[in-house]
Amino acid sequence: MIEVEGSLKRRLGGWLVVTVGVLGLALMVEAWVSSQRAAARAFDAQLQAAALTIAEAVRWQDGVPQVVVPAAALQILATDSQARVFYAVLDDDGRALSRNWPVDIPAAWQQALDEGGMSRDLTTALGELRLHAQRVASAGWVTQLPVQVWVGHTLEGRRALARSLFERSLSRFVAMVLLTGVLMGLTMRAALSPLRRLRRQIRERSADDFSPLAARVPKELLELAQALNHLFARQRQGREDLLRFTADASHQLKTPLAGLKTVSELGLRSSDPDEWRQALTRVHARAEDTSRLAGQLLSLARLRHLDQETALPALDLGALVREVALDWAARERAAEHDLGLGSLPAEPLKVRVEAWALREALGNLIDNALRYTPRGCQVTLHLAREGDWARLSIVDDGPGVADAALATLGQPFQRGGRQDTEGSGLGLAIVDTTARRMGARVQFANRSPQGLEVVLWLPLAKDEQGVTGALDAAANQ
Amino acid sequence: MTLQSGQRFRPFRCLSARCSVPATRRRLLGRVVSQWLPLSLLMLLVVLLGGCHSEDTSVPTDDDPLVISAALDLDVVAPLLDAFRQAYPQIPLRFEDRTTREVDDSVVGHLEGGQATGEGASRAPDVVISSAMPWQMARVNEGLARRLGGPEIERWPEWARWRDEVFAFTFEPVVMAYRLDLSRHMLPPQTHGDLHALLATQARWLSGKVTTYSPLSSGVGYTLAQQDARYSSRFWELVGAMGRADTRLETTTRAMLEGLSQGRYWLGYNLLGSYAMVYAQEHPEVIVQVPRDYSLVLMRMAFVHRDAPHVEAAETFVKFLLSQRGQRVLAGQTPLFSVLPGVTGPYTAARLRTQVGERLYPILPNATLLAFVDPARREAFTDHWRARFQGEPALDEAVERSSGALAPE
Amino acid sequence: MRLLVVEDDALISRSLVEALTPLGNTVEVFACCSDARAALRQGGVDLMLLDIGLPDGDGLSLLAELRNAGDRTPVIILTARDALDDRVRGLDLGADDYLAKPFELAELEARVRALLRRSQQRADNRLGLGPLSFDPASGAASLFGEPMALPHRELLLVESLLLHAGAIAPRETLEGRLFGFGEVGSNALEVYVSRLRKRLKGAGLRIRTFRGLGYRLEEDEG
Repeated sequence: MIEVEGSLKRRLGGWLVVTVGVLGLALMVEAWVSSQRAAARAFDAQLQAAALTIAEAVRWQDGVPQVVVPAAALQILATDSQARVFYAVLDDDGRALSRNWPVDIPAAWQQALDEGGMSRDLTTALGELRLHAQRVASAGWVTQLPVQVWVGHTLEGRRALARSLFERSLSRFVAMVLLTGVLMGLTMRAALSPLRRLRRQIRERSADDFSPLAARVPKELLELAQALNHLFARQRQGREDLLRFTADASHQLKTPLAGLKTVSELGLRSSDPDEWRQALTRVHARAEDTSRLAGQLLSLARLRHLDQETALPALDLGALVREVALDWAARERAAEHDLGLGSLPAEPLKVRVEAWALREALGNLIDNALRYTPRGCQVTLHLAREGDWARLSIVDDGPGVADAALATLGQPFQRGGRQDTEGSGLGLAIVDTTARRMGARVQFANRSPQGLEVVLWLPLAKDEQGVTGALDAAANQ
Repeated sequence: MTLQSGQRFRPFRCLSARCSVPATRRRLLGRVVSQWLPLSLLMLLVVLLGGCHSEDTSVPTDDDPLVISAALDLDVVAPLLDAFRQAYPQIPLRFEDRTTREVDDSVVGHLEGGQATGEGASRAPDVVISSAMPWQMARVNEGLARRLGGPEIERWPEWARWRDEVFAFTFEPVVMAYRLDLSRHMLPPQTHGDLHALLATQARWLSGKVTTYSPLSSGVGYTLAQQDARYSSRFWELVGAMGRADTRLETTTRAMLEGLSQGRYWLGYNLLGSYAMVYAQEHPEVIVQVPRDYSLVLMRMAFVHRDAPHVEAAETFVKFLLSQRGQRVLAGQTPLFSVLPGVTGPYTAARLRTQVGERLYPILPNATLLAFVDPARREAFTDHWRARFQGEPALDEAVERSSGALAPE
Repeated sequence: MRLLVVEDDALISRSLVEALTPLGNTVEVFACCSDARAALRQGGVDLMLLDIGLPDGDGLSLLAELRNAGDRTPVIILTARDALDDRVRGLDLGADDYLAKPFELAELEARVRALLRRSQQRADNRLGLGPLSFDPASGAASLFGEPMALPHRELLLVESLLLHAGAIAPRETLEGRLFGFGEVGSNALEVYVSRLRKRLKGAGLRIRTFRGLGYRLEEDEG
């Protein structure tokens, strides 16, 4: 089930907005602070220039300072934004040589002033002022009284400059955001175009086309394309398997059906009831084999399409083995054999497998044992734990299998070299397939002096291992 | 008719009759005082009885009209006031024609507890108009003006306003004037150089016959002298020459014009062109000459007083001054010359520029003017001027330098 | 006995009829659920053989209907679906036994017989196989009508074996019944079984051992 979860564009757009928003906020704060600072710096420099210009105009006559305020200094002070302009030239006692000062300068400031200059903010009835002061002394032949030059102006210029600087940053930023948005959109289009190409290519594929994709994709899409190719390959493999299996199965079914047909035909030709009987007996036996074969084929097909996705509950292997053994022991087929249960472990062994598949596999093993051993043979089921594995074995004391055939026993339509006996040769293939599905291993071994042992190694459920492992450890101490 | 540079300035013909009524400012002032004093006292009484009621009466009434404290001849400005009354008949208006000093006193008079002269001492004027630009600037810098806003303000040229608080709304060239007779004896001066040469060569003949604004006792005269000293490196030579020619110092343009007309003076330097041009129309014996080398331009400035009792009406008045309509009256019916570009009429700054050329140096409303009112600087300047006028050599080179005499800005 | 066969395959149903009729049963065949439902409503059915895949519905739903109506008629489920989940579901729904197609007729006959016997025992409240019988009411066993004087545990063994009647009685069940749930020697049960074997000798009955699984009481063939 494919669910639509947002869109890439929207997600990218969202991230862009968030990023730009956060970044923008930080940038705006920074821009605001720095434009304030830049404006303050620029205007403080003008204040200093004005103070310097006034200081230049100070003359000492017989050690007494005199000043003619230069008009230019006031124009510098006023700046382009026509700030109010204030100046004062004081002697060291605070007496004004020249001033248009609206307020008194705090005495402390006057005393603190030295050659280094001083900048201060001052709030007056005329609004906030920015002041700058400079102490001017000059070398001379006679003692010269130093003077203080104070200049100040209102803050319109600073505010206007800061605002315009900020607005410029803001407009640059907005332009950048818009441009980024447009570029992002274009980039997204360009970046997603391989995806669109891929989509078109997949959409245009015919249903039975499992050939690998031939597409040029960016690195990021390589994995997706490869996964798709892998999927196609698996599908192709699956289809081929299915075709082969169907072919095999129909071949397998055709043979006994052909036998049935000839036997029944022969029987019908004859008028001797004895021959009828013989024919019917043969027909019955062959029909039974054929139906069993059909059942096994079905099982095999089902096993191959087992859904591996679902998480399975852990089941008790011992209980399942007992149940299967009881089921089979009660059957008519087992009436001539000694089918029994060997040792079972005291503790429950939990495995995560599909119960019906394991039943099927066990049933086939039991069926095989019953089928390929003479009457009266013992068939015994054993279950034990070995480390992280459950060892489930079916042991018979029949004739066993030729050593050369042991390796190929798990493959379909192999009869372990026992072509003489009845059977399709599918039983062990079912077991093998089931085992592989369950992560289990199958072992075939001849026993001495005679007999066959088939061992299923099943991995124990992980969470159970811990507990039993701990129990084991405790028991061993 | 066009005025070609270098030609004698001939008066414009299209002046209204109203402007031509000759009357001295003093007489006018006297009349105003005698008419309005009882009323004002009554008004004061009403204000005292009403407590702080006056604060709320922002709408001017006949008893409490919009007061304009102005250094601007009533007969010159009358068409403008008429136009205003016509446009705003609901605003009663009192125009107080004063000297620049009286205007300046009226601005701060109410702050100092009625020490200042004039009947309006206890009350701030609503609108202040003066040609003493440095003093106007200083008052505005002190925060005594109210900031204005609106389309008229936006449209007003930036170079003619400061902080949107004070507005230079006229464009009055500063001129030379001489008696027609002068040209019979000598080539009349067309430039400052001519004047200097004339004073040097014709000193004996011109002795006592030359007049100019006193920089010592007239704000306008001081401003013009300061500005001359900034622009012309040879101004101080001219001052010396004028001193040697026993130049008479006057405090008003009108006095100079009347002296010329009556024959007491032959030559006048630094007269307000606005008055002189009107005067010359009526007095053909007086010839007005816009200097060919450079000509200062005085700009009268207006602002709404911070403590104006009728803020709204005052703003209306100033905006009217600056509006197309007001400026059109200025350009057509007064010799004050309109500043606003696009206004047509005989008296516009633009037209003056095309006639006289680019040699017009307007005194702009900016912070440099503040230096002129600095007492120390003023004292230094007037001392220096006096010394040069009286024939002493330069007392202090620094004064000349700082006032621009040695290094023109 | 009246047997109902609900099976849509004609060949199979005919075989069933032919196989079961000689055992002294009346066999009626229905090929769809609705017919079977009508017949069941009339009652008197001793056992039903129910195919799961039917043309007009699922045999399991018919079974569910039956059990919901409180009908305890024994049911053996037949299905071609070789699927254990169906079996589990069928048993959950109240089926008594289960046979996967293809089945051998002998297997079917044995299951039918066993089920009928169990159902009969439930009906007349007596347990028995061949000459051996056990009366749960009195707790007495008898062979050929003769009361058997049996020790307590052997009596319990007879009862347990008869309860399973033809099916394997699991070893754990027997041990629990005979010895309680305490620890018990591995061959303690075998001792009682062999004693009982001796007593039943010549009675046409035998107890077959299933190694590690349990014991089954069987009638000797022939």
